[in-house]
Amino acid sequence: MIGRTYTNVGLWGIFLFVVAVIIPLWFPPYQVTLVTEVIVFALYAVSYNLLLGYAGLLSFGHALFFGTGAYAAAVALNHIPGLSIFGAVVIAVIVTTVTGFVLGGLLLRHKGAYFALLTLAFNALFYAVATKWYSVTGGDDGLSVTRPDISLGIVDLNMSDITIFYYFTLIVVGLVILFSWYFTRTAMGRTVLLMRENEERMKFLGYNTNLSRLILFTFTGALAGFAGAFYSLFFQFTSISAISIDMTTTVLLMTFIGGTGSFTGPILGALVFTYLQDFLSDITDRWPIIMGLIFILMVLYVPGGLSGMLSSLKKRFGRGNYMGNHVEMEGQG
Amino acid sequence: MSTIPVFVLHGLAYASLLFLVSSGLTLVFGMMNVLNFAHAAFYMVGAYFSYSILQATGNFWLSLIVCPLLLFCIGALVERFLLRRVHAFGHVHELLLTFGLAYIMTELVKWIWGNYPLSVSIGSFLTGQVQLMGFTYPIYRLFIIFCAMMVGLLMSLTIYKTRVGIIVRAAVNDSEMLNALGINIPRVFMNVFAAGAALSGFAGVIAGPLLTTYPGMAGDILIDAFVVIVIGGFGSLGGALLASLIIGQLQSFGALLIPKLSLALIYMLMAAVLIIKPSGLFGEEQ
Amino acid sequence: MDPSRGILKMQDIYKDFSGLEVLTGVSFTVAENERHAVIGPNGAGKTTLFNIISGKYKPSAGSIIFRGEDVTKKPPHILSHLRISRSFQITNVFQELTVYENIRAGVRCRLGLRYHFFKTPDSMPEIRQKTEEILDQVGLTDVINEPASALSYGQQRALEIGITLSTEPELILLDEPTAGMTREETNEAIRMIDRVTQGRTLVIIEHDMEVVFSLSDTISVLHYGTILASGIPDDIRNDQRVKDAYLGEE
Repeated sequence: MIGRTYTNVGLWGIFLFVVAVIIPLWFPPYQVTLVTEVIVFALYAVSYNLLLGYAGLLSFGHALFFGTGAYAAAVALNHIPGLSIFGAVVIAVIVTTVTGFVLGGLLLRHKGAYFALLTLAFNALFYAVATKWYSVTGGDDGLSVTRPDISLGIVDLNMSDITIFYYFTLIVVGLVILFSWYFTRTAMGRTVLLMRENEERMKFLGYNTNLSRLILFTFTGALAGFAGAFYSLFFQFTSISAISIDMTTTVLLMTFIGGTGSFTGPILGALVFTYLQDFLSDITDRWPIIMGLIFILMVLYVPGGLSGMLSSLKKRFGRGNYMGNHVEMEGQG
Repeated sequence: MSTIPVFVLHGLAYASLLFLVSSGLTLVFGMMNVLNFAHAAFYMVGAYFSYSILQATGNFWLSLIVCPLLLFCIGALVERFLLRRVHAFGHVHELLLTFGLAYIMTELVKWIWGNYPLSVSIGSFLTGQVQLMGFTYPIYRLFIIFCAMMVGLLMSLTIYKTRVGIIVRAAVNDSEMLNALGINIPRVFMNVFAAGAALSGFAGVIAGPLLTTYPGMAGDILIDAFVVIVIGGFGSLGGALLASLIIGQLQSFGALLIPKLSLALIYMLMAAVLIIKPSGLFGEEQ
Repeated sequence: MDPSRGILKMQDIYKDFSGLEVLTGVSFTVAENERHAVIGPNGAGKTTLFNIISGKYKPSAGSIIFRGEDVTKKPPHILSHLRISRSFQITNVFQELTVYENIRAGVRCRLGLRYHFFKTPDSMPEIRQKTEEILDQVGLTDVINEPASALSYGQQRALEIGITLSTEPELILLDEPTAGMTREETNEAIRMIDRVTQGRTLVIIEHDMEVVFSLSDTISVLHYGTILASGIPDDIRNDQRVKDAYLGEE
């Protein structure tokens, strides 16, 4: 039932939103920054899952969009005096959209492993460019970023304030994540899903599948660029790590651990990964090994990720006809 | 200009390493349709094993024999118990598994040997220079080229002249047919995968003393090996050879002539090939 | 039949796959609103013919004229816009999706809602309306919300045809729609196909002679890659060459 799906999501959404709003009131600033980071990475992971889970496209180079967005925002803020925070984000999105379109046109004609390999190679290329192009990117030194304050006429919002920036991120990035969810129910979103199910048939039904793939690739790249811009703003610093293959690995792990079969999986993954990393890195320097082990164990034994586990638990304990598979979750779509 | 032949030889030396690594990669892909991201990790592990053996015994020849054997076993185990298991889940999962393996292997190496470059000493025999037509050249690099040629020769003889080779080639082209003939396909896959790992490990052993032995070495050569395969064409040994030679020379002269752009040069070549002939120089049309 | 009134003209179609010749000069014309059956032994090239007409393959030589326009090199999605639609011999549906969404895919494409980033597919009431109409026509209204994988074989074949109809085609190509059906199912399928192809042009590949003789206005016999004979059913039934080559083999 469409109605029931909306109610479910609506209730959860409101609950989470309320929780998110009161976090700064209950927790110390460090925790608030952690949640801010989770929100930014949640968008990054959601964008990645639109590619991987919904379209079935495995990319090993998503950080090139994230990092391009991060650098675009940073460079814009540093070179355009008086640029607003919105302006920086818009510039980041425009730059990544163009990048996605050009790169997609070049790479999408290849499938499967070949495509994955090419995305990795281009990620490496972008990383190399970022490292060498000192005059623009600051190379190994990176670029520092000041968050411009927002003036709302009567009141000025001081963006350097942790709590204010948190709410700003919650609302803006939250809205984008919400739109991404809505996207999965739009005509284009369903087209992407249909294409993954049976691309050949789609062609015979009149869909230009190459164009569809390009549109999706560009869109997810733009979303990642949006997240990247906020990454720069959050850390107030952009370094080559934002465009590194490590950054791709991070989002891959997050998305997969959270679960590629549902919309909320990657959000869960971003949450778990960020907190796990925070927790483990206090204990040991070797936390990447643990992450890697979890990842491999999941690939071998729990391919549905955490959200997949949750939904089969729900089924086991008889919550009626809940299907964790995002294909079904849309109800009649 | 006596420096030109020097750089040509430098290029050949790097091309040798590239060829050793990418040939295994391209064969495994052609046969099993799996792009093994852990392939370069095998290379790295080979180098590190070699370092430890050298630390313990100081015997380079021992290392040259033992390390590839160890990697063969590791490769076989990986294929048999990990890769085969996720085969049923589909291509995406296979790629994710090899990627995860590469990740863990790199982290394990950092844990066991440390996250900094190691200097690998191989004793006195292969160090030193030799006089060649008016210039001196390090013996070790010639040794690398020699090794690659021998291995390459061995590989082509095996693949084109022996029964084993026929089976391998058949498996690359049409494994179902082989199955019908009663040949144990999973065993063939496992052996080829393991052989690829051994080859990669061997490359790591000889690369260790030349290039830096550090955890990032897997990533370095992986990207170049990928570029080789893109340019040479998937599944094509000849393509891998040619592309390795080209990239080797580009690296060598690029570093000499246009150091800032040399890295980008290789990627630009790859992009050019992608635009003009997407399936690579010797690849089949998709 | 006056060839100039044909909506579909195949002219000298050759197709070889790396040396294997499958079609060696196929020419025939289909008139508007005609029901044209293509029969022939297995391997004669019938499905390849459909693949060529619907744009999946390009012929090695020859041309296809649709409503006076040369469509030989056009890709499948363009041909779909030109109102050509085909079904598949091996059921080719969206297994994990509901019957409703299976049909809706083509319906909304026809109505222009393909790549919209903001409108949901059901935001146009005509989409739901037309989808339900088609489901009714192929008799699948009862299972509208079932996933396609839960359908019986006969229902899946009906869904297959339903999807073919969803793009409001003027030329319908049905590839062995009754393959694997029981006698009963086949009779029902004949009635259904008759119903849904009213006012449209149909080209149908079939092995079941009862289907062929009850539905078609014209029959072409494809034999080893070329048309052996073409004409009205009675003529074909009595054609000696056809009897020798094909009907006699039964």
